[in-house]
Amino acid sequence: MSKQLKQLGDDIWKNQVEKINSELFTLTYGSVVAQLCKDLDNNYDQVNNELYKMGYNIGVRLIDEFLQKTQLSRCTNMHETAEVVSKIGFKIFLNITPTVSHWTADNKSFGLILVENPLADFVELPNTEARKKLWYSNVLCGVLKGCLEMVQLDCDVSFLQDSLKGDENTEIRVKLNKILKDEIPAGEE
Amino acid sequence: MSYYFAILGTNDAPVYELEIGTYRQSGNGVPHLPNELQELEQFILNSSLDILQDNQFKDTGLFSKNLDSFYGYKILSYLTQGNGKFLIMTDLKNHDESIRQFFIEIHELYVRNLLNPFYEINQPIRSADFDTRVRALAKRYL
Amino acid sequence: MSTPSNSKLMLTGAGYNPVIGPGSTADSTNSLPKQTASQRSVSQLSSPSSLLRLASTSSERKLNSFGAHASIYDRNLHRGMHEISLSSMSFLFMEVIRMSLNGSESLLQMERKLNNLGYRVGLRLLELVSLRENFNNNLASSGKSNTAQRHVRVLEILQFVKESIWPCMFGKEADNLEKSVQNENQYMIIDSDPILSRYICVPKEYEGLDCESFVAGIVEGLLDISYFRCEVTAHSAPLEGYPNRTVYLVDFDSSIISREERLSKK
Repeated sequence: MSKQLKQLGDDIWKNQVEKINSELFTLTYGSVVAQLCKDLDNNYDQVNNELYKMGYNIGVRLIDEFLQKTQLSRCTNMHETAEVVSKIGFKIFLNITPTVSHWTADNKSFGLILVENPLADFVELPNTEARKKLWYSNVLCGVLKGCLEMVQLDCDVSFLQDSLKGDENTEIRVKLNKILKDEIPAGEE
Repeated sequence: MSYYFAILGTNDAPVYELEIGTYRQSGNGVPHLPNELQELEQFILNSSLDILQDNQFKDTGLFSKNLDSFYGYKILSYLTQGNGKFLIMTDLKNHDESIRQFFIEIHELYVRNLLNPFYEINQPIRSADFDTRVRALAKRYL
Repeated sequence: MSTPSNSKLMLTGAGYNPVIGPGSTADSTNSLPKQTASQRSVSQLSSPSSLLRLASTSSERKLNSFGAHASIYDRNLHRGMHEISLSSMSFLFMEVIRMSLNGSESLLQMERKLNNLGYRVGLRLLELVSLRENFNNNLASSGKSNTAQRHVRVLEILQFVKESIWPCMFGKEADNLEKSVQNENQYMIIDSDPILSRYICVPKEYEGLDCESFVAGIVEGLLDISYFRCEVTAHSAPLEGYPNRTVYLVDFDSSIISREERLSKK
């Protein structure tokens, strides 16, 4: 299963995706985060929120492109969802493949370990409160939240650790709360 | 035998400074800049900057090994496209090539520092990591 | 040895002092901690591991054995062009526009915000791309580095924008570079199909908003820190088959044009 998904992700990336050098993306995101910190007076909780909202807005629209490109039907369980997110979602949008790990015993919560993170290239957090409080790449959590919600999965998505803060890994946690009532998700026919 | 090294921003204000002794000729890296000279550092910087500005649109190179001299100390300079300015004042002779290579490596560090979204241009460079790297380069080249 | 007082280190407005544009927040009261060699020996004793770390980072390395993020100072700036999907960039750009909309009372104010965000990107991109251009291989090895050049003339720097900055940002050169016939201060960089606008639809109520102000800000930022003081604005100029065609109008400060004339005489 996992192998097939990886193949699918790689094929889509190779054949269906218009690509661009990540540097403009990285610098633009950096400019956005720095501007938010300035606008919000370095209130990092608020900055985290804004980044999350920004991501959510992206996620609810990005899912259309995802479904259209992958033609995937609904996942049967969270393990499959996790693999799809990592090997296809992250692959075709950011060209990275986070490692799925640290499942909880109830199979409802997993971690995504980002070995590479194009958002955070060039970034060193200042040695201030930012290092404790700011989740620099929080936009990613918002994107996942938005996408998953659009396919009926109500999840909590948040960073557990970030190597920018000196943590050992960069890890996003995804926890399923409940499966939403059946509606036809946007973009799926 | 010592070096005074400064990085100046686009507005000509110093963003990083270091006094360091040579590691050559069995030097131990401790600087021996005479007090008078230390007090004049800013004055010397200013007058060297004047020369740099006079030349910077005529000479298109990055490195200048004879920008100025001052009581046996010579001033070498390096200018990036974005007007980051690196200056060295030293009483060491015949180390121009090493100093040039030092500058080139500093250029890389300077750009990496600038790329950090939390670094605002022309602000003092406070990263401890940056400082450690500069000292390591000084040890290797100066 | 004693650390000289910080006040001594403040340098004020000597010589050429271009106004760095709106993105700058230079706080001139900031003092600069002076580094001395004696501090070194202290830090050396207190953290021998940091030196060990240094020794091991000389080779190219992005990740340490734990997969953690390596220092930004280890990052190789010359290789490793990572590609992402253009959609991701477009989605981000849409949020940038939304963010600029927030609290803006006029299109002009919003375009200014976009311009500011771009400005910060431009000055970084300039140093990155020109570093690469000058030292596209091993830095310290001499050879190439002797030929390193700065762009000091108006046409040179504009060509650099067209032929080096554009490819780094958009994977293609800008289509044209023209000098205005009416105004000797003005030049135009033209992109027939700007890729950031390709997937962006501006809502009806904001008709007339030029999202390419962001790119104009990038160009302004990079020209400003190269000491080519100017204002750059984006203008939609559609042609048949190229609905998004955009002209980036570079309006140089008159001091730049007089400098250019002086340089031409020699």
